[in-house]
Amino acid sequence: MLEKIMNMDRRVIFILVALVVIFPTLVPVRMPITVSEPTRNLYDFIETLPSGSTIMIAFDYGPSSLAEPEPMAKAVMQHCFSKGIKIIGMTLLPNTPTLAHKLMRKIAAENDAVYGEDYVFLGYRPGTLQVILGMGTDISSVFETDYENKTVDEIPMMENITNYDQIDLLLDLASGSTTEAWIIYANTRYGVKIAAGVTAVIIAQMYPYLQTGQLIGLMPGYLGAAEYEKLLNAPGDGTIGLNTATYAHLLIIGLVILGNIAFFIQRRREG
Amino acid sequence: MKRQIPLAFCFLFGIAMIFTQFSPHSYSQAVYKEVINWGLIISPFAMVLAVVTLIQTHVTRINLRTEHWQYSLIVFVGMIVMVLIGVPFGPQNSIVEWLYNNVQVPMDATMFSLLAFFIASAAFRAFRARSFEAFLLLATAMIVMIGNVPVGDLVWNKVMSWMPWTDGASWLRQWILDVLNNAARRGIILGVSLGVISQSIRIILGIERSYLGGGD
Repeated sequence: MLEKIMNMDRRVIFILVALVVIFPTLVPVRMPITVSEPTRNLYDFIETLPSGSTIMIAFDYGPSSLAEPEPMAKAVMQHCFSKGIKIIGMTLLPNTPTLAHKLMRKIAAENDAVYGEDYVFLGYRPGTLQVILGMGTDISSVFETDYENKTVDEIPMMENITNYDQIDLLLDLASGSTTEAWIIYANTRYGVKIAAGVTAVIIAQMYPYLQTGQLIGLMPGYLGAAEYEKLLNAPGDGTIGLNTATYAHLLIIGLVILGNIAFFIQRRREG
Repeated sequence: MKRQIPLAFCFLFGIAMIFTQFSPHSYSQAVYKEVINWGLIISPFAMVLAVVTLIQTHVTRINLRTEHWQYSLIVFVGMIVMVLIGVPFGPQNSIVEWLYNNVQVPMDATMFSLLAFFIASAAFRAFRARSFEAFLLLATAMIVMIGNVPVGDLVWNKVMSWMPWTDGASWLRQWILDVLNNAARRGIILGVSLGVISQSIRIILGIERSYLGGGD
């Protein structure tokens, strides 16, 4: 029996993972969510911005990791549009523009936001460091045209926006190390306020910047998206994703405990 | 000459860019802005270089018939199709968007999703408390994992309701991230930053020349 557990066929584990992912998607179970301080800080900051303020969202995640940052993007955009806050979208990754543009269009349509007046998507330009630093002096020197090929200087929303001085918050939705680049070059050099929404796997890297105040808020993975949705009182993809993640976490914890019990029994028997 | 000129440029621009960080004078800031603009112009050439390297690598694989060389043909098919449609018609062309949304997005998402299966299997096999250090790592990981999902607090509040604290699982997770994790991360960040500073000085002064190639 012990041997069987220790040498469990990995296909059994694969089936168990598939089941715990599929089951909560089909039968959603709502669990109580405690909102963490970093997520609340971001929500409170946006909540206190007056109508007509501008935030920039950097969609720095690719199709492979969209499951976590996309619900965050939806929740924050919904919040901004409901408060009349303008959004400038852009990305530092070459394979993201289509994804981000489509998402912005969708959320804008749901909130009756108008392209060029309430939001704009600038797209992608190569060179992470140069793009971040370049926008600090003049956004239109980096993005002469937006993703839809309109001259940035002629977009009504961009009339009074030259550089970071007119941006109230930069939110980096990331699955990699771009948040650190934004902090080092945009926050340190130009003093722009930065918040982040990152995949769960890189949360630990962000905490030193929260402590120093270089990040004013942080949404950690699915949990962050679900927390933000709770604050908005609008459960969405983040809450659904968190349910799935809950069962997957429980399965992995259960497997690790089972493996260790079997390991210790075997070790005791072997003396 | 082939090495002296790049070294001279590196020294000149390195010193100039450091100077612009400390001087708010309009001349200094004009230099800073100009160099950033040059950087923006040069950056796309890195992509050209990447494409050329990719082509060279896969042409070699096909010529030498290395293992799984057939996949290299698929790389070229994908690249040629996207370039032929994407370059003349732009990224908003309906065919490009269709290919992106229906080929790249699901394939990328599938590859990443497979990690969940492999991580679960690897965690079961490898995550064993073989020593005290391994036990500490295991216990910390378990606490952070359980605190990352709402069921942690649910169980804590039900099972450990006699304790004076509520939401203990997320509190413990937060404490680990705020205190233990921060202490370790800050040490790493300081170490890396000092290394970057010393390496930058070595590059600017021409002591470190490996970026020029040639194994020097």
